[in-house]
Amino acid sequence: MDLSLLGPNILRLLREYWQVFLLEGVVNTLKLTAIAVLFGVILGTLVAMVKMCRFRAARFLIGVYIEVIRGTPILLQLYIFYFVLPQLLPFLALSPFMWVALALCINSSAYVSEVIRAGIQAVDKGQTEAARSLGLSGRQTMLRIVLPQAVRNILPALGNEFIMMLKETSLASTFFLGDLMTSYLLVGGATYLRFEALIIVGVIYLCLTFPLSKVVAAFERRMARGTTD
Amino acid sequence: MYIYAAIMGNKSKKKEVRMSMKMKKWIALALALCLMLTALAACGGSGKDDSKTLKVATSPDFAPMAFVDTSKQGQDQYVGFDIMLAQYIADEMGKELVIMPMSFEACTTAVSMGTVDMAISGFSWREDREQNFNLSDFYYPGDNESDQVVITLKENEGRFAAAADFKGVKVGAQTASLQESLCQEQLPDCELVTIGDLGTGLLQLKNGDFEAMAVAKGQADVFMSNDPAVALSGFQFEVDEKYTANVIVLKKGADSLTEEVNGILKKAYDANVYGGWYEEAKELAMSATANEVSYDDEGNAPAGSESSSEAE
Repeated sequence: MDLSLLGPNILRLLREYWQVFLLEGVVNTLKLTAIAVLFGVILGTLVAMVKMCRFRAARFLIGVYIEVIRGTPILLQLYIFYFVLPQLLPFLALSPFMWVALALCINSSAYVSEVIRAGIQAVDKGQTEAARSLGLSGRQTMLRIVLPQAVRNILPALGNEFIMMLKETSLASTFFLGDLMTSYLLVGGATYLRFEALIIVGVIYLCLTFPLSKVVAAFERRMARGTTD
Repeated sequence: MYIYAAIMGNKSKKKEVRMSMKMKKWIALALALCLMLTALAACGGSGKDDSKTLKVATSPDFAPMAFVDTSKQGQDQYVGFDIMLAQYIADEMGKELVIMPMSFEACTTAVSMGTVDMAISGFSWREDREQNFNLSDFYYPGDNESDQVVITLKENEGRFAAAADFKGVKVGAQTASLQESLCQEQLPDCELVTIGDLGTGLLQLKNGDFEAMAVAKGQADVFMSNDPAVALSGFQFEVDEKYTANVIVLKKGADSLTEEVNGILKKAYDANVYGGWYEEAKELAMSATANEVSYDDEGNAPAGSESSSEAE
Protein backbone atom coordinates (compact mmCIF):
# COMPACT_ATOMS: atom_id res chain seq x y z
CA MET A 1 0.00 0.00 0.00
CA ASP A 2 1.37 3.33 -1.10
CA LEU A 3 1.49 5.70 1.84
CA SER A 4 3.49 8.53 0.30
CA LEU A 5 0.33 10.43 -0.67
CA LEU A 6 -1.32 9.93 2.70
CA GLY A 7 0.06 13.05 4.38
CA PRO A 8 -0.59 15.46 1.49
CA ASN A 9 -4.07 13.99 0.96
CA ILE A 10 -4.98 14.39 4.61
CA LEU A 11 -3.78 17.98 4.57
CA ARG A 12 -5.74 18.58 1.41
CA LEU A 13 -8.93 17.15 2.91
CA LEU A 14 -8.41 19.21 6.05
CA ARG A 15 -7.91 22.38 4.04
CA GLU A 16 -10.87 21.80 1.74
CA TYR A 17 -13.30 20.22 4.17
CA TRP A 18 -12.36 21.35 7.67
CA GLN A 19 -15.76 22.96 8.12
CA VAL A 20 -17.46 19.67 7.32
CA PHE A 21 -15.44 17.85 9.95
CA LEU A 22 -15.31 20.48 12.67
CA LEU A 23 -18.30 22.76 12.23
CA GLU A 24 -20.77 20.09 11.16
CA GLY A 25 -19.35 16.78 12.32
CA VAL A 26 -18.10 17.70 15.77
CA VAL A 27 -20.99 20.06 16.53
CA ASN A 28 -23.65 17.54 15.53
CA THR A 29 -21.92 14.68 17.33
CA LEU A 30 -21.73 16.73 20.54
CA LYS A 31 -25.30 17.93 20.09
CA LEU A 32 -26.62 14.39 19.68
CA THR A 33 -24.56 13.13 22.60
CA ALA A 34 -25.65 15.96 24.89
CA ILE A 35 -29.34 15.49 24.03
CA ALA A 36 -29.10 11.73 24.44
CA VAL A 37 -27.32 11.82 27.78
CA LEU A 38 -29.27 14.75 29.28
CA PHE A 39 -32.69 13.28 28.54
CA GLY A 40 -31.30 9.81 29.09
CA VAL A 41 -30.41 10.79 32.66
CA ILE A 42 -33.81 12.37 33.32
CA LEU A 43 -35.69 9.43 31.86
CA GLY A 44 -33.24 6.94 33.34
CA THR A 45 -33.80 8.32 36.84
CA LEU A 46 -37.54 7.80 36.46
CA VAL A 47 -36.97 4.31 35.10
CA ALA A 48 -34.66 3.47 37.99
CA MET A 49 -37.26 4.74 40.49
CA VAL A 50 -39.93 2.54 38.98
CA LYS A 51 -37.49 -0.39 38.88
CA MET A 52 -37.04 -0.02 42.64
CA CYS A 53 -40.66 0.67 43.55
CA ARG A 54 -42.90 -1.67 45.51
CA PHE A 55 -45.19 -2.71 42.70
CA ARG A 56 -44.31 -6.00 41.19
CA ALA A 57 -46.17 -5.32 37.91
CA ALA A 58 -44.47 -1.96 37.39
CA ARG A 59 -41.09 -3.50 38.23
CA PHE A 60 -41.73 -6.29 35.76
CA LEU A 61 -42.80 -3.95 32.93
CA ILE A 62 -39.86 -1.63 33.41
CA GLY A 63 -37.60 -4.69 33.59
CA VAL A 64 -38.86 -5.74 30.17
CA TYR A 65 -38.21 -2.20 28.87
CA ILE A 66 -34.63 -2.28 30.15
CA GLU A 67 -33.93 -5.79 28.89
CA VAL A 68 -35.36 -5.12 25.42
CA ILE A 69 -33.36 -1.95 25.00
CA ARG A 70 -30.14 -3.29 26.40
CA GLY A 71 -30.59 -6.60 24.61
CA THR A 72 -31.04 -5.27 21.07
CA PRO A 73 -28.45 -3.52 18.91
CA ILE A 74 -28.70 0.25 18.87
CA LEU A 75 -28.65 0.21 15.06
CA LEU A 76 -31.84 -1.86 15.10
CA GLN A 77 -33.42 0.65 17.47
CA LEU A 78 -32.47 3.48 15.11
CA TYR A 79 -34.18 1.67 12.22
CA ILE A 80 -37.33 1.23 14.31
CA PHE A 81 -37.34 4.86 15.39
CA TYR A 82 -36.58 6.12 11.89
CA PHE A 83 -38.89 3.91 9.84
CA VAL A 84 -41.61 2.47 12.04
CA LEU A 85 -42.46 5.02 14.74
CA PRO A 86 -42.98 8.02 12.40
CA GLN A 87 -45.67 5.93 10.69
CA LEU A 88 -47.28 4.80 13.92
CA LEU A 89 -47.18 8.30 15.38
CA PRO A 90 -47.52 10.60 12.36
CA PHE A 91 -48.95 13.46 14.43
CA LEU A 92 -45.60 13.88 16.17
CA ALA A 93 -44.01 15.26 12.98
CA LEU A 94 -40.45 15.15 14.31
CA SER A 95 -37.49 15.67 12.02
CA PRO A 96 -35.30 12.63 11.25
CA PHE A 97 -32.66 14.18 13.50
CA MET A 98 -35.12 14.33 16.40
CA TRP A 99 -36.27 10.75 15.84
CA VAL A 100 -32.71 9.50 16.01
CA ALA A 101 -31.99 11.72 19.02
CA LEU A 102 -35.08 10.24 20.67
CA ALA A 103 -33.88 6.71 19.95
CA LEU A 104 -30.53 7.55 21.53
CA CYS A 105 -32.29 9.07 24.58
CA ILE A 106 -34.36 5.92 25.07
CA ASN A 107 -31.29 3.75 24.64
CA SER A 108 -29.32 5.89 27.06
CA SER A 109 -32.16 5.86 29.60
CA ALA A 110 -32.01 2.07 29.92
CA TYR A 111 -28.27 2.09 30.57
CA VAL A 112 -28.43 5.11 32.88
CA SER A 113 -31.26 3.58 34.90
CA GLU A 114 -29.13 0.53 35.61
CA VAL A 115 -26.21 2.76 36.57
CA ILE A 116 -28.41 4.66 39.00
CA ARG A 117 -30.04 1.55 40.43
CA ALA A 118 -26.70 -0.16 40.91
CA GLY A 119 -25.29 3.02 42.48
CA ILE A 120 -28.12 3.23 44.98
CA GLN A 121 -28.10 -0.46 45.82
CA ALA A 122 -24.33 -0.41 46.29
CA VAL A 123 -24.79 1.86 49.33
CA ASP A 124 -24.48 -0.32 52.38
CA LYS A 125 -27.80 -1.50 53.73
CA GLY A 126 -26.66 -0.59 57.22
CA GLN A 127 -26.89 3.08 56.28
CA THR A 128 -30.59 2.77 55.57
CA GLU A 129 -31.19 0.71 58.69
CA ALA A 130 -29.29 3.21 60.86
CA ALA A 131 -31.18 6.16 59.37
CA ARG A 132 -34.53 4.49 59.80
CA SER A 133 -33.76 3.48 63.37
CA LEU A 134 -32.87 7.10 64.13
CA GLY A 135 -36.38 8.00 63.11
CA LEU A 136 -35.83 9.35 59.61
CA SER A 137 -38.65 8.71 57.17
CA GLY A 138 -38.13 6.62 54.04
CA ARG A 139 -38.03 9.76 51.95
CA GLN A 140 -35.54 11.48 54.25
CA THR A 141 -33.37 8.38 54.29
CA MET A 142 -33.26 8.23 50.53
CA LEU A 143 -32.64 11.95 49.96
CA ARG A 144 -30.25 12.71 52.84
CA ILE A 145 -28.44 9.45 53.52
CA VAL A 146 -28.49 7.08 50.56
CA LEU A 147 -28.48 9.39 47.51
CA PRO A 148 -25.49 11.54 48.57
CA GLN A 149 -23.46 8.35 48.94
CA ALA A 150 -24.85 6.85 45.74
CA VAL A 151 -23.82 9.91 43.73
CA ARG A 152 -20.24 8.91 44.39
CA ASN A 153 -20.85 5.67 42.49
CA ILE A 154 -23.13 7.14 39.87
CA LEU A 155 -21.31 10.21 38.56
CA PRO A 156 -18.17 8.54 37.20
CA ALA A 157 -20.33 5.86 35.56
CA LEU A 158 -22.42 8.61 33.95
CA GLY A 159 -19.23 10.14 32.59
CA ASN A 160 -18.42 6.81 30.98
CA GLU A 161 -21.94 6.65 29.58
CA PHE A 162 -21.33 10.05 27.96
CA ILE A 163 -18.17 8.74 26.32
CA MET A 164 -19.94 5.58 25.15
CA MET A 165 -22.79 7.63 23.72
CA LEU A 166 -20.36 9.95 21.94
CA LYS A 167 -19.07 6.94 20.03
CA GLU A 168 -22.49 5.41 19.49
CA THR A 169 -23.83 8.55 17.82
CA SER A 170 -21.68 7.48 14.86
CA LEU A 171 -24.54 5.12 13.98
CA ALA A 172 -26.63 8.19 13.13
CA SER A 173 -24.53 8.30 9.98
CA THR A 174 -26.78 5.52 8.63
CA PHE A 175 -29.20 8.37 7.98
CA PHE A 176 -26.58 11.03 7.20
CA LEU A 177 -27.50 13.19 10.17
CA GLY A 178 -24.37 15.26 10.03
CA ASP A 179 -22.38 13.64 12.84
CA LEU A 180 -18.66 13.03 12.46
CA MET A 181 -19.11 9.67 10.78
CA THR A 182 -21.42 11.33 8.25
CA SER A 183 -18.61 13.79 7.54
CA TYR A 184 -16.45 10.80 6.72
CA LEU A 185 -19.12 9.33 4.40
CA LEU A 186 -19.68 12.64 2.63
CA VAL A 187 -16.06 13.62 2.16
CA GLY A 188 -14.99 10.05 1.45
CA GLY A 189 -17.87 9.61 -1.00
CA ALA A 190 -17.15 12.80 -2.89
CA THR A 191 -13.38 12.45 -3.09
CA TYR A 192 -12.87 8.68 -2.75
CA LEU A 193 -10.11 9.48 -0.26
CA ARG A 194 -11.85 7.28 2.30
CA PHE A 195 -8.84 6.17 4.26
CA GLU A 196 -7.62 9.73 4.68
CA ALA A 197 -11.08 10.87 5.78
CA LEU A 198 -11.26 7.94 8.22
CA ILE A 199 -7.96 8.92 9.82
CA ILE A 200 -9.12 12.52 10.25
CA VAL A 201 -12.41 11.44 11.82
CA GLY A 202 -10.65 8.91 14.05
CA VAL A 203 -8.24 11.53 15.38
CA ILE A 204 -11.12 13.93 16.06
CA TYR A 205 -13.04 11.22 17.96
CA LEU A 206 -9.94 10.55 20.04
CA CYS A 207 -9.48 14.26 20.72
CA LEU A 208 -13.03 14.32 22.05
CA THR A 209 -13.01 11.14 24.12
CA PHE A 210 -9.48 11.23 25.55
CA PRO A 211 -9.84 14.45 27.61
CA LEU A 212 -13.30 13.30 28.69
CA SER A 213 -12.03 9.97 29.98
CA LYS A 214 -9.23 11.82 31.82
CA VAL A 215 -11.82 14.07 33.47
CA VAL A 216 -13.86 11.02 34.49
CA ALA A 217 -10.76 9.32 35.90
CA ALA A 218 -9.80 12.40 37.91
CA PHE A 219 -13.34 12.63 39.20
CA GLU A 220 -13.28 8.97 40.19
CA ARG A 221 -10.08 9.52 42.16
CA ARG A 222 -11.57 12.50 43.96
CA MET A 223 -14.70 10.59 44.80
CA ALA A 224 -12.66 7.65 46.09
CA ARG A 225 -10.67 9.98 48.35
CA GLY A 226 -13.97 11.04 49.92
CA THR A 227 -14.65 7.55 51.26
CA THR A 228 -11.58 7.48 53.51
CA ASP A 229 -12.49 10.76 55.27
CA MET B 1 -34.67 -2.05 69.00
CA TYR B 2 -37.17 -4.50 67.60
CA ILE B 3 -40.02 -2.76 69.28
CA TYR B 4 -38.89 0.52 67.88
CA ALA B 5 -38.68 -0.98 64.47
CA ALA B 6 -42.15 -2.39 64.88
CA ILE B 7 -43.54 1.01 65.75
CA MET B 8 -41.68 2.60 62.88
CA GLY B 9 -42.85 -0.15 60.61
CA ASN B 10 -46.44 0.48 61.59
CA LYS B 11 -46.05 4.16 60.90
CA SER B 12 -44.46 3.59 57.55
CA LYS B 13 -47.14 1.11 56.64
CA LYS B 14 -49.77 3.83 56.79
CA LYS B 15 -47.53 5.95 54.62
CA GLU B 16 -47.13 3.05 52.26
CA VAL B 17 -50.85 2.94 51.68
CA ARG B 18 -50.87 6.65 50.89
CA MET B 19 -47.87 6.24 48.62
CA SER B 20 -49.42 3.35 46.80
CA MET B 21 -52.54 5.41 46.07
CA LYS B 22 -50.35 8.11 44.61
CA MET B 23 -48.44 5.51 42.62
CA LYS B 24 -51.61 4.00 41.26
CA LYS B 25 -52.71 7.42 40.08
CA TRP B 26 -49.43 7.81 38.21
CA ILE B 27 -49.71 4.40 36.64
CA ALA B 28 -53.28 5.09 35.59
CA LEU B 29 -52.16 8.38 34.06
CA ALA B 30 -49.32 6.69 32.18
CA LEU B 31 -51.67 4.01 30.87
CA ALA B 32 -54.18 6.63 29.77
CA LEU B 33 -51.41 8.48 27.94
CA CYS B 34 -50.37 5.31 26.15
CA LEU B 35 -53.96 4.69 25.14
CA MET B 36 -54.30 8.23 23.82
CA LEU B 37 -51.10 7.89 21.80
CA THR B 38 -52.22 4.67 20.16
CA ALA B 39 -55.66 6.08 19.48
CA LEU B 40 -54.16 9.17 17.91
CA ALA B 41 -51.80 6.98 15.92
CA ALA B 42 -54.67 4.89 14.64
CA CYS B 43 -56.70 7.81 13.35
CA GLY B 44 -53.76 10.01 12.42
CA GLY B 45 -52.55 7.64 9.72
CA SER B 46 -54.88 8.87 7.03
CA GLY B 47 -54.59 12.52 7.89
CA LYS B 48 -51.10 13.33 6.63
CA ASP B 49 -50.71 15.33 3.50
CA ASP B 50 -48.00 13.92 1.28
CA SER B 51 -49.47 15.15 -1.97
CA LYS B 52 -47.10 18.10 -2.35
CA THR B 53 -43.76 16.44 -1.75
CA LEU B 54 -41.89 13.67 -3.49
CA LYS B 55 -39.70 11.88 -0.98
CA VAL B 56 -36.72 10.13 -2.51
CA ALA B 57 -34.22 7.97 -0.66
CA THR B 58 -30.65 8.04 -1.86
CA SER B 59 -27.23 7.15 -0.53
CA PRO B 60 -25.17 10.27 -1.20
CA ASP B 61 -21.74 8.70 -0.90
CA PHE B 62 -21.44 7.54 -4.47
CA ALA B 63 -19.94 10.13 -6.81
CA PRO B 64 -20.87 10.88 -9.54
CA MET B 65 -24.35 9.34 -9.15
CA ALA B 66 -25.25 10.89 -5.82
CA PHE B 67 -22.96 12.79 -3.51
CA VAL B 68 -22.77 15.91 -1.42
CA ASP B 69 -21.45 19.32 -2.36
CA THR B 70 -20.15 20.27 1.06
CA SER B 71 -20.07 23.96 0.22
CA LYS B 72 -23.87 23.98 0.24
CA GLN B 73 -26.46 23.47 2.95
CA GLY B 74 -29.77 21.64 3.32
CA GLN B 75 -31.43 20.05 0.31
CA ASP B 76 -29.16 21.94 -2.13
CA GLN B 77 -26.13 19.99 -0.96
CA TYR B 78 -27.23 16.77 -2.66
CA VAL B 79 -25.85 16.64 -6.20
CA GLY B 80 -25.14 14.10 -8.89
CA PHE B 81 -26.90 12.31 -11.70
CA ASP B 82 -29.52 10.57 -9.58
CA ILE B 83 -30.41 13.84 -7.84
CA MET B 84 -30.89 15.58 -11.19
CA LEU B 85 -33.14 12.74 -12.29
CA ALA B 86 -35.11 12.95 -9.04
CA GLN B 87 -35.50 16.72 -9.51
CA TYR B 88 -36.69 16.16 -13.08
CA ILE B 89 -39.29 13.62 -11.92
CA ALA B 90 -40.47 15.90 -9.11
CA ASP B 91 -40.77 18.85 -11.51
CA GLU B 92 -42.75 16.76 -13.98
CA MET B 93 -45.09 15.63 -11.22
CA GLY B 94 -45.42 19.18 -9.93
CA LYS B 95 -44.15 18.22 -6.49
CA GLU B 96 -41.43 19.47 -4.24
CA LEU B 97 -38.44 17.16 -4.06
CA VAL B 98 -37.30 16.03 -0.61
CA ILE B 99 -34.10 13.99 -0.62
CA MET B 100 -33.83 11.66 2.35
CA PRO B 101 -30.22 10.58 2.68
CA MET B 102 -29.49 7.14 4.13
CA SER B 103 -27.17 4.21 3.64
CA PHE B 104 -27.66 2.09 0.51
CA GLU B 105 -29.11 -0.83 2.49
CA ALA B 106 -31.53 1.46 4.29
CA CYS B 107 -32.85 2.87 0.96
CA THR B 108 -34.79 -0.28 0.09
CA THR B 109 -36.05 -0.56 3.67
CA ALA B 110 -37.35 3.00 3.40
CA VAL B 111 -39.24 2.11 0.22
CA SER B 112 -40.85 -1.00 1.62
CA MET B 113 -41.76 0.81 4.85
CA GLY B 114 -43.34 3.61 2.85
CA THR B 115 -41.09 6.22 4.45
CA VAL B 116 -40.21 7.45 0.96
CA ASP B 117 -42.02 7.34 -2.38
CA MET B 118 -39.07 5.87 -4.24
CA ALA B 119 -35.36 5.18 -4.05
CA ILE B 120 -33.04 6.52 -6.74
CA SER B 121 -29.54 5.48 -5.85
CA GLY B 122 -27.88 3.86 -8.82
CA PHE B 123 -29.87 0.62 -8.41
CA SER B 124 -29.35 -1.88 -11.17
CA TRP B 125 -31.90 -4.46 -12.18
CA ARG B 126 -31.77 -7.65 -10.17
CA GLU B 127 -34.14 -10.54 -10.03
CA ASP B 128 -34.65 -10.42 -6.26
CA ARG B 129 -35.34 -6.69 -6.48
CA GLU B 130 -37.92 -7.33 -9.18
CA GLN B 131 -39.65 -9.81 -6.87
CA ASN B 132 -39.85 -7.56 -3.86
CA PHE B 133 -40.31 -4.12 -5.39
CA ASN B 134 -41.86 -2.33 -8.31
CA LEU B 135 -38.97 -1.41 -10.57
CA SER B 136 -39.22 1.40 -13.09
CA ASP B 137 -38.07 1.17 -16.70
CA PHE B 138 -34.36 1.58 -17.23
CA TYR B 139 -32.61 4.91 -17.21
CA TYR B 140 -29.18 5.41 -18.63
CA PRO B 141 -26.55 7.40 -16.80
CA GLY B 142 -24.35 7.42 -19.92
CA ASP B 143 -21.80 5.11 -21.51
CA ASN B 144 -19.36 5.30 -18.64
CA GLU B 145 -21.83 3.81 -16.24
CA SER B 146 -22.96 0.99 -18.53
CA ASP B 147 -19.41 -0.19 -19.27
CA GLN B 148 -18.18 -2.54 -16.58
CA VAL B 149 -14.44 -2.92 -16.16
CA VAL B 150 -11.84 -4.42 -13.88
CA ILE B 151 -9.28 -2.15 -12.27
CA THR B 152 -5.96 -3.14 -10.82
CA LEU B 153 -2.79 -1.51 -9.52
CA LYS B 154 -0.53 0.33 -11.96
CA GLU B 155 2.18 -2.34 -11.65
CA ASN B 156 -0.27 -5.02 -12.87
CA GLU B 157 -1.47 -2.97 -15.81
CA GLY B 158 -2.13 -5.21 -18.79
CA ARG B 159 -1.63 -8.44 -16.84
CA PHE B 160 -5.31 -9.32 -16.99
CA ALA B 161 -6.50 -8.86 -20.56
CA ALA B 162 -8.68 -11.94 -20.99
CA ALA B 163 -10.98 -13.92 -18.73
CA ALA B 164 -8.45 -16.77 -18.62
CA ASP B 165 -5.86 -14.50 -16.98
CA PHE B 166 -8.00 -14.37 -13.86
CA LYS B 167 -7.59 -18.04 -12.99
CA GLY B 168 -7.02 -18.21 -9.23
CA VAL B 169 -6.72 -14.43 -8.99
CA LYS B 170 -8.54 -12.67 -6.16
CA VAL B 171 -11.04 -10.17 -7.53
CA GLY B 172 -13.02 -7.78 -5.35
CA ALA B 173 -16.64 -6.87 -6.05
CA GLN B 174 -19.29 -5.06 -4.03
CA THR B 175 -21.71 -7.35 -2.15
CA ALA B 176 -25.00 -7.94 -3.98
CA SER B 177 -23.88 -5.73 -6.85
CA LEU B 178 -24.03 -6.13 -10.60
CA GLN B 179 -20.24 -6.52 -10.61
CA GLU B 180 -20.51 -9.50 -8.28
CA SER B 181 -22.88 -11.35 -10.63
CA LEU B 182 -20.71 -10.43 -13.61
CA CYS B 183 -17.63 -11.86 -11.92
CA GLN B 184 -19.48 -15.09 -11.16
CA GLU B 185 -20.70 -15.37 -14.75
CA GLN B 186 -17.73 -14.25 -16.77
CA LEU B 187 -14.74 -14.87 -14.52
CA PRO B 188 -15.69 -18.32 -13.19
CA ASP B 189 -12.09 -19.21 -12.33
CA CYS B 190 -11.38 -16.15 -10.23
CA GLU B 191 -11.50 -16.10 -6.48
CA LEU B 192 -14.28 -13.66 -5.64
CA VAL B 193 -13.84 -11.41 -2.61
CA THR B 194 -16.89 -9.39 -1.63
CA ILE B 195 -16.50 -5.87 -0.31
CA GLY B 196 -18.85 -3.57 1.57
CA ASP B 197 -18.33 -0.28 -0.17
CA LEU B 198 -16.19 0.83 -3.05
CA GLY B 199 -14.00 3.20 -1.08
CA THR B 200 -13.04 0.44 1.31
CA GLY B 201 -12.56 -1.84 -1.69
CA LEU B 202 -10.08 0.61 -3.15
CA LEU B 203 -8.17 0.53 0.12
CA GLN B 204 -8.16 -3.26 0.09
CA LEU B 205 -6.93 -3.29 -3.50
CA LYS B 206 -4.04 -1.00 -2.59
CA ASN B 207 -3.44 -3.07 0.51
CA GLY B 208 -3.06 -6.24 -1.58
CA ASP B 209 -6.16 -8.03 -0.23
CA PHE B 210 -7.04 -8.73 -3.84
CA GLU B 211 -5.31 -7.99 -7.12
CA ALA B 212 -8.22 -6.67 -9.14
CA MET B 213 -11.61 -5.09 -8.54
CA ALA B 214 -14.73 -5.05 -10.73
CA VAL B 215 -16.34 -1.60 -11.01
CA ALA B 216 -18.39 0.54 -13.38
CA LYS B 217 -16.32 2.50 -15.88
CA GLY B 218 -17.49 5.84 -14.51
CA GLN B 219 -16.33 4.81 -11.06
CA ALA B 220 -12.98 3.66 -12.43
CA ASP B 221 -12.52 7.09 -14.06
CA VAL B 222 -13.08 8.85 -10.75
CA PHE B 223 -10.70 6.46 -8.99
CA MET B 224 -7.97 6.90 -11.57
CA SER B 225 -8.28 10.67 -11.72
CA ASN B 226 -7.72 10.75 -8.00
CA ASP B 227 -5.19 8.00 -7.52
CA PRO B 228 -2.30 7.45 -9.92
CA ALA B 229 -1.67 3.99 -8.43
CA VAL B 230 -4.88 2.63 -10.01
CA ALA B 231 -5.12 1.47 -13.63
CA LEU B 232 -7.48 -0.38 -15.95
CA SER B 233 -6.72 -4.08 -16.27
CA GLY B 234 -7.61 -4.25 -19.95
CA PHE B 235 -10.50 -6.64 -19.34
CA GLN B 236 -14.03 -5.48 -19.91
CA PHE B 237 -17.21 -7.39 -19.09
CA GLU B 238 -19.79 -8.10 -21.73
CA VAL B 239 -22.99 -6.76 -20.32
CA ASP B 240 -26.57 -7.44 -21.15
CA GLU B 241 -28.74 -4.34 -21.49
CA LYS B 242 -30.82 -5.16 -18.48
CA TYR B 243 -27.69 -4.90 -16.35
CA THR B 244 -26.19 -1.78 -17.87
CA ALA B 245 -28.93 0.62 -16.97
CA ASN B 246 -30.33 1.68 -13.63
CA VAL B 247 -33.82 1.44 -12.25
CA ILE B 248 -35.85 3.37 -9.72
CA VAL B 249 -37.11 1.27 -6.82
CA LEU B 250 -40.73 1.74 -5.78
CA LYS B 251 -42.99 0.00 -3.33
CA LYS B 252 -44.50 -3.28 -4.47
CA GLY B 253 -48.01 -2.58 -5.67
CA ALA B 254 -47.52 1.15 -6.30
CA ASP B 255 -48.46 0.55 -9.94
CA SER B 256 -49.94 3.93 -10.83
CA LEU B 257 -46.90 5.77 -9.48
CA THR B 258 -44.60 3.37 -11.30
CA GLU B 259 -46.46 4.04 -14.53
CA GLU B 260 -46.24 7.78 -14.00
CA VAL B 261 -42.50 7.51 -13.36
CA ASN B 262 -42.05 5.36 -16.45
CA GLY B 263 -43.80 8.02 -18.52
CA ILE B 264 -41.47 10.69 -17.15
CA LEU B 265 -38.42 8.49 -17.77
CA LYS B 266 -39.51 8.02 -21.39
CA LYS B 267 -39.88 11.76 -21.75
CA ALA B 268 -36.39 12.31 -20.33
CA TYR B 269 -34.99 9.65 -22.67
CA ASP B 270 -36.68 11.22 -25.70
CA ALA B 271 -35.44 14.65 -24.67
CA ASN B 272 -31.94 13.14 -24.61
CA VAL B 273 -30.90 14.75 -21.33
CA TYR B 274 -29.10 11.82 -19.66
CA GLY B 275 -25.71 12.31 -21.35
CA GLY B 276 -25.54 15.99 -20.42
CA TRP B 277 -26.52 15.27 -16.83
CA TYR B 278 -23.90 12.59 -16.50
CA GLU B 279 -21.14 14.79 -17.87
CA GLU B 280 -22.20 17.60 -15.54
CA ALA B 281 -22.28 15.27 -12.54
CA LYS B 282 -18.90 13.80 -13.40
CA GLU B 283 -17.39 17.25 -13.86
CA LEU B 284 -18.66 18.20 -10.42
CA ALA B 285 -17.31 14.99 -8.89
CA MET B 286 -13.92 15.48 -10.51
CA SER B 287 -13.71 19.05 -9.27
CA ALA B 288 -14.10 17.67 -5.77
CA THR B 289 -11.10 15.45 -6.37
CA ALA B 290 -8.63 15.75 -9.21
CA ASN B 291 -8.44 19.46 -9.80
CA GLU B 292 -7.26 20.24 -6.32
CA VAL B 293 -3.62 19.29 -6.53
CA SER B 294 -2.11 20.07 -3.18
CA TYR B 295 1.04 22.10 -2.85
CA ASP B 296 3.45 22.38 0.03
CA ASP B 297 4.57 25.69 1.46
CA GLU B 298 7.11 26.30 -1.30
CA GLY B 299 4.46 25.76 -3.93
CA ASN B 300 5.74 22.37 -5.11
CA ALA B 301 3.29 19.66 -6.00
CA PRO B 302 3.77 16.44 -4.00
CA ALA B 303 5.47 13.47 -5.60
CA GLY B 304 2.33 11.61 -6.69
CA SER B 305 0.81 14.43 -8.70
CA GLU B 306 3.87 15.12 -10.85
CA SER B 307 2.99 12.52 -13.44
CA SER B 308 -0.38 14.07 -14.05
CA SER B 309 1.05 17.55 -14.50
CA GLU B 310 3.61 16.19 -16.94
CA ALA B 311 0.82 14.64 -18.94
CA GLU B 312 -0.68 18.05 -19.48
